[in-house]
Amino acid sequence: MPYLTAPYLTAPYLTARNLRKSYGEKCVVGGIDLDLTSGKIVGLLGPNGAGKSTTVGMLYGLIEADEGEVTIGGEILSERTPQTKKRIGVVTQDNNLDPDFTVEENLIHFAHHYRITGGAAQRLAAQLLEQVELDSYAKYRIDQLSGGLQRRLVLARALINSPQVIFLDEPTTGLDPEARQLFWRLILNLKQSERAILLTTHYMEEAERVCDTIYLMQGGTIVDWGQPADLVIRIAGSEVIELEGLNELAVASLSAKYETWFRSYSQGFLLGVPQHGSQELWSELAGTPYKSLTKRKSNLEDVFLLLTGKRLGS
Amino acid sequence: MPISVWGIYTVWRRHFKVYTKTLFVNCLAPISEPVIYLIAFGYGLSPLIGTLQYGGKNVSYLEFMAPGMVAVGCLFQAFFEGGYGTFIRLRYQKTWQALLTAPLSYTDIFLGDWCWATSKGLLAGLVTGLVAVLWGAIQPLQLITFLPLLILGSVLFAALGLLTAGLVRTVDQINIPVFLLIIPMFTLCGTYFPRETLPLPLQLIASILPLASLVDLLRWDLGKPEFWELKLAWLLILTLAFGYAAARSIRRQLFRS
Repeated sequence: MPYLTAPYLTAPYLTARNLRKSYGEKCVVGGIDLDLTSGKIVGLLGPNGAGKSTTVGMLYGLIEADEGEVTIGGEILSERTPQTKKRIGVVTQDNNLDPDFTVEENLIHFAHHYRITGGAAQRLAAQLLEQVELDSYAKYRIDQLSGGLQRRLVLARALINSPQVIFLDEPTTGLDPEARQLFWRLILNLKQSERAILLTTHYMEEAERVCDTIYLMQGGTIVDWGQPADLVIRIAGSEVIELEGLNELAVASLSAKYETWFRSYSQGFLLGVPQHGSQELWSELAGTPYKSLTKRKSNLEDVFLLLTGKRLGS
Repeated sequence: MPISVWGIYTVWRRHFKVYTKTLFVNCLAPISEPVIYLIAFGYGLSPLIGTLQYGGKNVSYLEFMAPGMVAVGCLFQAFFEGGYGTFIRLRYQKTWQALLTAPLSYTDIFLGDWCWATSKGLLAGLVTGLVAVLWGAIQPLQLITFLPLLILGSVLFAALGLLTAGLVRTVDQINIPVFLLIIPMFTLCGTYFPRETLPLPLQLIASILPLASLVDLLRWDLGKPEFWELKLAWLLILTLAFGYAAARSIRRQLFRS
């Protein structure tokens, strides 16, 4: 009955509240709240060192939080409840596969940790290899697989227990575009099967394309969050101008006059296109001694630059 | 600190399956080492030494040496599996990190590794003992009575290996305890000669090292060791201390990375 299932589907399956982690004096994650809902992909975006991996580590129990609580399917995740981890699957940043085992043995032996043994483990391994399109590599050794194939095997391993929550920690870093495309196709299939998915990445285009909600992280905290398109429009506006050849004073004066924002960017500046007076701004810019002038659609990179003064890839 | 017997078993089983992948190569060390030692010392030193005084009576050198070799088999295999094996799984292969994504607690994984290193020590001790039985250096029944002590010794040396894996930062640093502790134990603890022949200060140091107590207890049939209760208690205390310290040090290393 739809009226019964609808509330369940929209309720968060995983909730994290006030997660904090410090190493000595250094605060790496400073109080994060986050919800994951079935059938949705949540992106955690930030530059290297923003605290993304530490956050994910705390969410799946690899890293002990100093403070805060993670609840998965109504159960609190802690070292005292390792069985809670039956509900999650993790694609770790490292390809920590067993180099001594073949592709299918990696899955069969990992299945034992979930009490799936014998013929059942073999059938499951075959099924998962087909799902991630690795069935023709079943007997290969791990060192015979490319980086992209290894990532797919890590994904298959994460799916052994049919998890309700999947963590993808920088899953496509170092992959070529073709391997990344295939990986994302597999992830979008998983999304359709009502899994709650958390993705960390510093690839803005990927996040913008596949995520339903994005959390922007910087210095261990969430600086803003929302749906990708909304986030972009709300913070950076619909369009921005990349310009080179003007000094900061001139850009600041234009920014003040048209009540818009600007940030230094690459060799020049990024200037938000105001809702009103965009034609006048463009005409005024055309009369300045600029070197280059480009108007384009705003994106998450602009949002991040605006919020933190840093680029995502930095 | 939740413990799942199934979890510990599956971690142990994973290591066992890896071991059996290259069974021949892996069995080479525990089998060839005692055979080589027995040939070298049996043929080389036995005729020169003949008999020696131990526990107030005359025993053949081969009878004296065999329990020591069994203990050394445990020491080397348990320590090196606990040290190198665990370090590689922890730092290079990141097996521990992968296992932590399964419904296993840290304690399950730690105990699984500890049990595996213990198994390798025990296997090496038993294989050495079997070779010694075939050589006529010990009686078959004697080997069965060795079993509880071999388990205790393997658990202890495995814990020492795990502690090493938890403390070192590079694979080369494992050489530090090897040269400062393992080699001195192997050479000075009365494995190949009675400790009484050493200068007194060295004798005292050697007596404190755990291999000395284990070897003395394994030579029970040649003469009941003095203060055997203390020696047994010392082995138990060291096992608990090393095990606790190993669990803490690996946890620190794993959850900080």
